[in-house]
Amino acid sequence: MGIQSESSEHILVCISPSPSNPKVVSAAARMAEAFQATLTAVYVKPTNYEALPEGDRARLQNNIRFAERNGASVTTIVGDDVPSQVAEYARISDTTKIVVGRSGMKRRHFWSRTPLTEQIILNVPDLDVYIIPDSAVDFSRQKERSRVADSIRPTLRELIVTLLLMAAATLIGLVFLRSGFSEANIITVFILGVLLVSVVTVSPLFGVLGSLAGVLLFNWFFIEPRYSFHTYETEYAVTFAIMLASSLITGTLANRIKQNGRHAAREAFRTKVLLDTNQLLQKAENPEEAIRVTARQIITLLNRDVVIYSRSESGGLGDRAEFGVFRSEPEPAVRDENEREICEWVFANRQSAGAHLERFGKAGAQYHPICLNGCSYGVLVIRLNGGLPDTFENSIMMSILGECALALENLRNAEEKERASVMMRNEQLRANLLRSISHDIRTPLTSVSGNASNLLAHYKQLDDRTLEQIFSDIYDDSEWLIDLVENLLSISRIENGQMELHRSLEVMDDVIEEALKHADREAKRHHISIEPSEEILLVNMDAGLIMQVLINLINNAVKNTPEGSEITVRSGRKGEWAVVSVTDNGPGIPDAIKDQVFEMFFTGRNKVADGRRGLGLGLALCKSIVEAHNGRITLTDNEPTGCRFTVELPVKEVRIDE
Amino acid sequence: MNESTVLVIEDDIPVRNLIITTLKTHDYGCLTAADGSEAIMMASSHNPDVVFLDLGLPDMDGIDVIRRIRSWSNMPIIVISARSDDTDKIEALDAGADDYLTKPFSVEELLARLRATVRRLHMMTGGSAADRSVYTNGKLTIDYSAGYAALNGEELKLTPIEYRLLCLLAKNTGKVLTHNYITRNIWGRSWDNDTASLRVYMTMLRKKLDSPPDSPGYIQTHIGIGYRMIKVDES
Repeated sequence: MGIQSESSEHILVCISPSPSNPKVVSAAARMAEAFQATLTAVYVKPTNYEALPEGDRARLQNNIRFAERNGASVTTIVGDDVPSQVAEYARISDTTKIVVGRSGMKRRHFWSRTPLTEQIILNVPDLDVYIIPDSAVDFSRQKERSRVADSIRPTLRELIVTLLLMAAATLIGLVFLRSGFSEANIITVFILGVLLVSVVTVSPLFGVLGSLAGVLLFNWFFIEPRYSFHTYETEYAVTFAIMLASSLITGTLANRIKQNGRHAAREAFRTKVLLDTNQLLQKAENPEEAIRVTARQIITLLNRDVVIYSRSESGGLGDRAEFGVFRSEPEPAVRDENEREICEWVFANRQSAGAHLERFGKAGAQYHPICLNGCSYGVLVIRLNGGLPDTFENSIMMSILGECALALENLRNAEEKERASVMMRNEQLRANLLRSISHDIRTPLTSVSGNASNLLAHYKQLDDRTLEQIFSDIYDDSEWLIDLVENLLSISRIENGQMELHRSLEVMDDVIEEALKHADREAKRHHISIEPSEEILLVNMDAGLIMQVLINLINNAVKNTPEGSEITVRSGRKGEWAVVSVTDNGPGIPDAIKDQVFEMFFTGRNKVADGRRGLGLGLALCKSIVEAHNGRITLTDNEPTGCRFTVELPVKEVRIDE
Repeated sequence: MNESTVLVIEDDIPVRNLIITTLKTHDYGCLTAADGSEAIMMASSHNPDVVFLDLGLPDMDGIDVIRRIRSWSNMPIIVISARSDDTDKIEALDAGADDYLTKPFSVEELLARLRATVRRLHMMTGGSAADRSVYTNGKLTIDYSAGYAALNGEELKLTPIEYRLLCLLAKNTGKVLTHNYITRNIWGRSWDNDTASLRVYMTMLRKKLDSPPDSPGYIQTHIGIGYRMIKVDES
């Protein structure tokens, strides 16, 4: 169902039980065809759906089937505030055009409400709204009745308030009568009473009731003959009429003010919730956080348990995360058996389903898609626990879901961008690396092959001292090449800016000991000492890489200090960190270049070391390895001279089994 | 001439030449094979004392060669691997290899491994090390029947687990035992926490055993792979 095309146009058509609704739907379908657009038919299902006349319900089912036949995907939203919900749905589903029938225009309450079409236009000012002429007087009347009845459900509390106020007016009137005030004053008191009733009560019914009661009470208590409904003067008929009129007018006015106030308060609340959500979502650094924020906001709003399924890496329905309302005692979770199945459907069709909705109506929860631009980012499951969220909550929830989808899309875009830039950086890094390697590798290779060819050709002519020199050159150069290859192997493990770690738990001092065994041959001309840690430091690490770090640091110290220098490798614990430092008493590193030593291809001054021996990879590699372990590497001065490289790695606490 | 014969299984000619030259200059007897099937044939017909095996052979996986040889013989196998990945070495060790060398290796390292292996062979000729009730290695003695270990004639104060670790290593002197192998033998399972415990116990055991300044270092740590008890030279 539904036209799943990649078109940018998305047409929304409103379904109603109106007999002429199919005309509207077919007009929308023709439009969808013309624009190559996706067509969605939305039906706002009133909360008192069961109370609708049988004929309406049957017509509605027909209209929905008609819409489906015309290639529309049908979505049902539960609520009573048709315009704002249609507008909300249009906003979150990225609708470009809305098609409505004109029947809505006639839908006015008797105190004159803005027509449906106009309200939709007001709610989504940036959308095209198409109005299809439609004459369904019969239906609009029915609808009107049900709406009026719905909004003015009289309550017992209001009845009592009305009675009390009118009784008070009567009492004051009696006091006035005793004090000899004129009738006009008493009438004013009654008008005031009716006015108060209209202001205090919500339903206009009580204004009418109040004025009728006022007229009757006035007649009974104050007009001769008193204690009867008899009246001699026609003048009083006018008084009744005025009282009734003023009560109705003030009632309507008061109601409107109240409604406006309520509307403003709701709008403010909605703005605040959405703003909060928006801010929190913007702070979210990853999809998990965005989903957590969304869940928290929806829980605050609805006070119901929610479950969110996120989008998996592969673009399908991913992991399930449950978020509960805080309770002192956890309630037994009522979970739909086919929860995942429903979610898959909602995810694929980007339409709400579940309780009180078209699809999976038997479920105990409601399922809403988190989608934007025809792409699903997840599914929200709301445990209803009996009651439906009201229209207002529902519309805020829809907005929150829209915000969430937007945040998730932004995060995904940012991630893709980041990935692309990392890939570019890696490419660049590799290119640089290859260039400098091919340059640096030639030198030792030239020496090795040249020396070997000399030996082959002129072995007999060469004296022992020259021979020894040649052998030791070949050895040194090949050792240097081995070193280089080890480092290159480590670099090759950097993929997508991430180092692939083969972690295992290792004892720090064992690794240091092993690293020392692999340190340079030249290290024998330096004094290297180890100061092991008092306690056993276990670190979850890639031992090969950490060893490479230590070897690089030790070799670095060896190469950059004169013969006979002291190099100390110390290990210890500082809080949660295993700290290893390599300290030398060489010439040290000037502050000016301290920041650059960890950069790729930085080779320093190379005073001591042979100029060509240093690809400048060592320390940069150390840094990326240590950081991949969530650790730190720093360079400080040693007193009185020299420098100290410190590596800090998180210590792993272990429970020892006997 | 050194009485030991070594079978070198390596397809790369320069490396094979290097090993052969090294061995010959140190008076070892030499046999060579360039691929797996030839290697298995040579091993069965000549019964060499030690095998050097390159894992990357043209015709079959080196691991399979180990398994085939192990099906009839306990001759020491030292694996040579260019792969720096530890899992290959661990797989080879678990398949029955005794030791490993990673390319590029130095000539000294090669000779040292060979000497250690030959020493272990000599020790075993007097009867299987595991069968004897008293084990001696340098200044270390373990009396299995009495459950007693001593260094320099002084009793080593070991916890039960440390003692079991020591015995396990001693019974496999010269062999690199993988972490997995050890934890399964000591705890009967190999969970993450056991591996962590193993690191801690081994460090404590090593401190007790190798802390005297004149200690030759009985236990060798192979980072990421396992541990080995060295056969210490009496001289």
